Amino acid sequence: MMKIKESIYLSFFLFAIITWAQAQEDVSNTTYKKRVLETSEIDFLSSYYTQDGNNAAVSGGIGSEDLTDVTGTIVIAIPINDDDVLTIDAGISAYTSASSSNIDPFDGDSPADPFVASSGASKQDVWSSVVLGYSHSSDSRNDIVSAKMSVSKEFDYFSLGFGGGYTKLFNQKNTEVSINANVYLDTWRAIYPVELRPFTANGNGIANGLFLNNSITGNTNYNPIFTPFKDENRNSYAVGLGFSQILSKKLQGSLLVDFVQQEGVLSTPFQRVYFSDVADSFIDNFHLADAIEQLPDSRFKIAFGGRLHYYINEVFVVRSYYRYYKDDWGVNSHTASLEVPIKITDKFTVYPSYRFYNQTAADYFAPYNVHLSASEFYTSDYDLSKYTANQFGIGVTYTDIFTNFHLWRFGLKSIDLKYNNYQRDSGLKASIISTGLKFIVD
Amino acid sequence: MIKGFFIAFVLLICSTSCVAVKEYDKVNLNDPDMALSEKKLDLNISTFHSYREAAVGVNGGKTGGGCGCN
Repeated sequence: MMKIKESIYLSFFLFAIITWAQAQEDVSNTTYKKRVLETSEIDFLSSYYTQDGNNAAVSGGIGSEDLTDVTGTIVIAIPINDDDVLTIDAGISAYTSASSSNIDPFDGDSPADPFVASSGASKQDVWSSVVLGYSHSSDSRNDIVSAKMSVSKEFDYFSLGFGGGYTKLFNQKNTEVSINANVYLDTWRAIYPVELRPFTANGNGIANGLFLNNSITGNTNYNPIFTPFKDENRNSYAVGLGFSQILSKKLQGSLLVDFVQQEGVLSTPFQRVYFSDVADSFIDNFHLADAIEQLPDSRFKIAFGGRLHYYINEVFVVRSYYRYYKDDWGVNSHTASLEVPIKITDKFTVYPSYRFYNQTAADYFAPYNVHLSASEFYTSDYDLSKYTANQFGIGVTYTDIFTNFHLWRFGLKSIDLKYNNYQRDSGLKASIISTGLKFIVD
Repeated sequence: MIKGFFIAFVLLICSTSCVAVKEYDKVNLNDPDMALSEKKLDLNISTFHSYREAAVGVNGGKTGGGCGCN
């Protein structure tokens, strides 16, 4: 932990030195300045995401992970004057989830089963988000200050975020350093597995109608460990440092580091856990929760990595990316990706890509029915398990730099279509189709 | 690992003194596919990664906010 703190201080020190040193040689040319953004731009983005697997965290590491999500986003960039740009990013996402539906698996007509979606209200939700951003560039275009604010909401979760950044370019704009900081103040509206709710301080426990109307099999003396969270806040504090450099007329790269500190309720209130030393209780085919996930109330994350992009010729470009990640929950991870844009014609570009990801398990992870009840922390969320994932993608972009096609005052600049297939060696499979339309306002 | 990162960081800083591509020579570097950032189209994919994977950061995506719990 001390080493990480020292690294943060060292990063700030290096950043301050570089900024100061280059400021001494920054020669501004204010006789002519190009607008940062010539005209307003509008991006319409959408995605269709599906996944399936057999390790649902809601049912303690077993059960259907079937999930479908449709997201629509509009991003508008508006030049306020020669130097300033306002960005509005508004998105809405609707999903249906088999695992979420099993927060209450007993509200359907068929027998409760972790591998079958229930029909209750929790099977679907809508997430909405708005991000406002503002950036100001200096006359020399060598200094950029930005600020942003974000709000997002779903039924059981609210997030308020704000942040800012500073970017400095120097060495004839061959070198760029940046720093940004973001704070997210989130609040849960905790929803617990239905069979645990009668076991709050004022609940009627095993005398609840749920247990009277449904026969418990196995251990009929059902008595889970359950205390609702007192504090429902989750705060995240992130600081990022960036450094990018032009290395030749065809090669440029960047190095980035992010530090994230999270505090508060980092557990997900509706994720069940089963203990191997507690006798199992069932209703239908559904194993009644022994407890809910318990995770520490703080987590420190550090990620660093970089990009290296090479322009081979007019047809091929190579985009490579690597990231190393580590946190104090015991997760170590490597991410590497390669994308090779291929310009088929002056208007069409094809984007084949591959992404590799692996991670070690969090210290608190164990599969279904393996944890011990005496443990302080436990989760059976396979997103915190050890696994390797491979992702293959293919995309195509149509670009018309002359924006010949118009819809009213909007000239179509580009159309994007991309498909990605993601597979974990633990069984989760996902697909995502993304589309984008970019318009320039006349 | 962290030590390695800072060595790379310092080496890249040192490299700034020997490279200065002029603006008129940046035509290839200004190709949209050479941008050192994720494309807007990939933001939803990054968000899905941040929900399904433990690792976050240094990709222009989310580093906090939202539960990603479904």
